[in-house]
Amino acid sequence: MKVIIHDLEKQYADMINAKCDRAIAADGKYAPCQGCFGCWTRHPAECFMKDTLQQACRIIGQADELVIVTGNLYGGYTADIKNVLDRSIGTSTPFSTYRGGQMHHTLRYGKHDLWKVIIYGEITEAEKDTFRYMAERNAINDGFERSEVRFIENLSELEGLL
Amino acid sequence: MKTVFINCSPKKKFCASAYFLFLQRLFVGGKKIDEKLRTPADHDRILEQLRDARAVVFGLPLYVDGIPSHVLRFMEKMEAFCKQNGLHPSVYCIANNGFIEGKQNEPLMQCFEHFCRRAGLTWGGGVGIGGGVMLNVTRILFLVDIALLALNTVLSVVNTGSFFPKSAWISFAENAALLLYFNLGVLFFLVRMGRSIRKGTDCGKKYTRILIPSFVFILFADVFFFIISLFEGGIFRGWLSKKEYGKA
Repeated sequence: MKVIIHDLEKQYADMINAKCDRAIAADGKYAPCQGCFGCWTRHPAECFMKDTLQQACRIIGQADELVIVTGNLYGGYTADIKNVLDRSIGTSTPFSTYRGGQMHHTLRYGKHDLWKVIIYGEITEAEKDTFRYMAERNAINDGFERSEVRFIENLSELEGLL
Repeated sequence: MKTVFINCSPKKKFCASAYFLFLQRLFVGGKKIDEKLRTPADHDRILEQLRDARAVVFGLPLYVDGIPSHVLRFMEKMEAFCKQNGLHPSVYCIANNGFIEGKQNEPLMQCFEHFCRRAGLTWGGGVGIGGGVMLNVTRILFLVDIALLALNTVLSVVNTGSFFPKSAWISFAENAALLLYFNLGVLFFLVRMGRSIRKGTDCGKKYTRILIPSFVFILFADVFFFIISLFEGGIFRGWLSKKEYGKA
């Protein structure tokens, strides 16, 4: 299954939907993670906050290929995108293991294939390096076999990369 | 000199960030202001404190290899506020994560460096701490040790008239030394960063962790989550199962 998370305007919805099995629009109309771990310990893979992200981890967890379309904020995801990722730690379980030589959580949905990030807009070379590193870390953390990062200056370049 | 300490944990109480900021405060002089960043309602109040601050210390948890989203929203506002008002405080960061390797905070630290560059602020460096949750528990264990010592002292006075129960004091000292050992790496780097904050210099990025072997840490973490999940009921609600979207 291919899942796309994006922070684009509504005008891009049709293009995005045509390119994936499920899309998550990071529109900012949801609450930030409260760090309670309830999605591990109380209601597995479900957040206690009843908004559009309550079961987002169940979509992301099923993705073989996850594509994130995001603007750049200090070499990382925009706050709207990061909010979605923060609320999705239910893709893993509370148990720990070693992955990539470091401690991580075991995976609720097993291994995935590709963690791909497409960054649009202005970005410095140093921020690009951080983004590549961040995506690599995310892929290991979430159990993806590989990561890919692409930078585009204009959203007209987006469709060919999805 | 004024330093603003911003606790960025979304938790209302008993957060590891508060513990590390408490320790950092011990090694910083001058005027110290404590702020809590949980919601957008906190933004304006904190920004006003920055007007005459020489240093800002962020204490925050690592979320999905980066900065939590509610902190990013504040940083965007802080960038605009500092540019508008010509403010250039030094920024320091204490990040902690649940995994044992403090090095896992590196992407977060890099984002703070980029933030400072874009906002025209001075990046002062940071400390990344692994095993933050477990280190936070050590402060509770220390308080329990003190309570036990007090109880034993009272019992000793009642039973023998002695105000110095030797065995209780030895036990307390042993436990306190062990807890101190677990925190040694953190204390060392926070002392160093405190000196940099006082002098307004760069302390670089340093990474440390709770001083126990990784496999022991993982064992304790698994037992911790098992017990919590048992009490909160997650174990009986498909604890490790592949939950499907739209279903219970």
